[in-house]
Amino acid sequence: MTVAQEIKSMTGNDAAAYAALYAKPKVIAAYPITPQTTIVEKLSQYVDHGLLDAEFVIVESEHSALAACMGAAWSGVRTFTATSSQGLLYMAENVFWTGYGRLPIIMPVVNRCLAPGWNIWPDFQDSMAFRDAGWIQIYTKNNQEVFDTILQAFKISENKDIALPSMPCLDGFIISHTTGQVSLPNAEDAYEFVGDYDDPVIEVDVENPWAFGAMTGPDQYSKNRRDLMAAMTIAEKKIVEVHKEFDERFGRSYGNGLVEPYGDDEADLTIMSLGTIGDETHEAIDRLNQEGLKVNALRIRTFRPFPNNDIVEFAKKNHKLLVIDRSVSFGNDGQLRIEVDSALKRNKVDTPVIGRIMGIGGEDVPYSRIMDEAKKVLKE
Amino acid sequence: MPVTQKDLMKKPKDAILKGHFACAGCGSALAFRHAIGSIADEVILVVPASCASVYQGSGKGVAFNVPTINTAFAASDAVASGISRAMKMKKKENLKVVVWGGDGSAADIGVSTEIGACDRQENILHIMYSNNVYGNTGGQRSGDTMIGARTTTTPKGNTTPRKMIPFIMMANNARYVATASQAYLEDFVEKVQKAISYEGFKFIQIDISCPPNWKADSSDSVRIARTAVQTGIWPLFEWDRITSKAVISRPSQKYLNKEERLPITEWTSIQGRFRGITEEELKALEADTERQWNFIRKFL
Repeated sequence: MTVAQEIKSMTGNDAAAYAALYAKPKVIAAYPITPQTTIVEKLSQYVDHGLLDAEFVIVESEHSALAACMGAAWSGVRTFTATSSQGLLYMAENVFWTGYGRLPIIMPVVNRCLAPGWNIWPDFQDSMAFRDAGWIQIYTKNNQEVFDTILQAFKISENKDIALPSMPCLDGFIISHTTGQVSLPNAEDAYEFVGDYDDPVIEVDVENPWAFGAMTGPDQYSKNRRDLMAAMTIAEKKIVEVHKEFDERFGRSYGNGLVEPYGDDEADLTIMSLGTIGDETHEAIDRLNQEGLKVNALRIRTFRPFPNNDIVEFAKKNHKLLVIDRSVSFGNDGQLRIEVDSALKRNKVDTPVIGRIMGIGGEDVPYSRIMDEAKKVLKE
Repeated sequence: MPVTQKDLMKKPKDAILKGHFACAGCGSALAFRHAIGSIADEVILVVPASCASVYQGSGKGVAFNVPTINTAFAASDAVASGISRAMKMKKKENLKVVVWGGDGSAADIGVSTEIGACDRQENILHIMYSNNVYGNTGGQRSGDTMIGARTTTTPKGNTTPRKMIPFIMMANNARYVATASQAYLEDFVEKVQKAISYEGFKFIQIDISCPPNWKADSSDSVRIARTAVQTGIWPLFEWDRITSKAVISRPSQKYLNKEERLPITEWTSIQGRFRGITEEELKALEADTERQWNFIRKFL
């Protein structure tokens, strides 16, 4: 039995703010940056109007936004912040400190491309730069998924066996500032799903003092990083579990939580992508299928931990992969393509992979372009 | 309440245990023992990258006997803000959040974080232990380095006046600002006790000797710090937002009068970092010292 929900129209950023409101973080710290700003604006209003019992720290930089959340997380309370683009880069050392320090902070990144060339439109260059920071990264396709993913993220990150921060990613403007329908559960049901954070993964203790992050020799240091690797493996399972539990309670799912397939199980071509391009791909698939072309899609929802097995199993059944990246690892290729290649190679699957870089700096990627690329690749 | 020498021995518990890695004659470890020791049962410590991140010891042998969170260089006051806010939500406001860091973070890389926390009136105390140099990395010039000091990045002597962080904090409306010296620990502990009794952002800068980087004898550690006060190089004072008045602290009172001060060379001559200091540099150093006194005088 799923719980009652009400359909409301709201932007992706409003959906993010609602999810945070329902999860009841105790400390929120944030700094404005387009296109993230309206998330924390909303939250500051909730706090000011007494709808959310939290400390809202109006910091002087993103570096301090995450640092304040880290302080709160070390104190054993639920914390939330959000950022974009240059702001994410400005907090860089603390992003790694949070991941490697295993602090369960939830920080949506509203994806926006990086300067120079001032440009506020979306691509994934910002969050991709933090691929290796020890954060769970989940890329969302629409406003509803933003809400659902943030609620799930609290439950995943705050699990003691995982204790990793989460970075739900949403395309700037396409999701953040576009109004869409969102099914909202009531606040109690949403909070019940997330649960209390009364057994924190870490908590500063005056009675039994410990030092966090003191000098650490190679033996202990490498053990800590291996523990982080293990936590990511556990997280991969937990993301599926929490996603299933969410589906049972609220009646919504995105594939298995790691990847979301679309169309037939087998096809001549599979289109893989992240974020809203994954959503736009659905339209392209429908039209290509109508034209008699056998094309399906696999949207990679969880990028960290990377769902190697799901990708490999899907690739095995299909004949050719077109991987669309909205970011580049300069000197090589799109990050998703590189990782898909590596997953197939390690598992000795020889399905050919073709990569396309699209949508950089907010460049429009309509279904028609995806169809054109698909047709080209089918002919290759 | 004035703190006496006897009071210095009455601590809730030792804040620093055996096995710390501080250099012989380290003024910071000495100051830590007494200041943090005096509040050891109610303190949460935040340490930016600094000598204290090293001398606290390593692994299971960590010598700090109070909860200690090490942070990135410029992050400490923001981390402390987060802790303080979380403690407010947990109704544990009795716990005192203290930043313990050097002049590299407090005078340079962390200034904006510090002013941010001050501006928000976060309920924290920042203690800046000041050896006027990036000590941990081997003695490079910091914003707190005074004129004439030879450092590894100013081998011919630093030419610019030191950045006076206490004045910046006063201008930004901190609740309480003070300077202190490792040679006058009663005065320092008294200021720490006073600071933590106030709500809001408090700031204390303590002058501590750094024998390796000052190229001084470690047995001269306290003597150098005392001479800094007696030559007027380091004025001890406190300032309170409520009264908006500065008060010259007892050890420094006499030196408000320039005539009473020992010649600056009494202080420079016992430190290798001033070897080769020119007459011109000495004059500039003296002028900069007077600039500081004149600033304080405006608030008396």
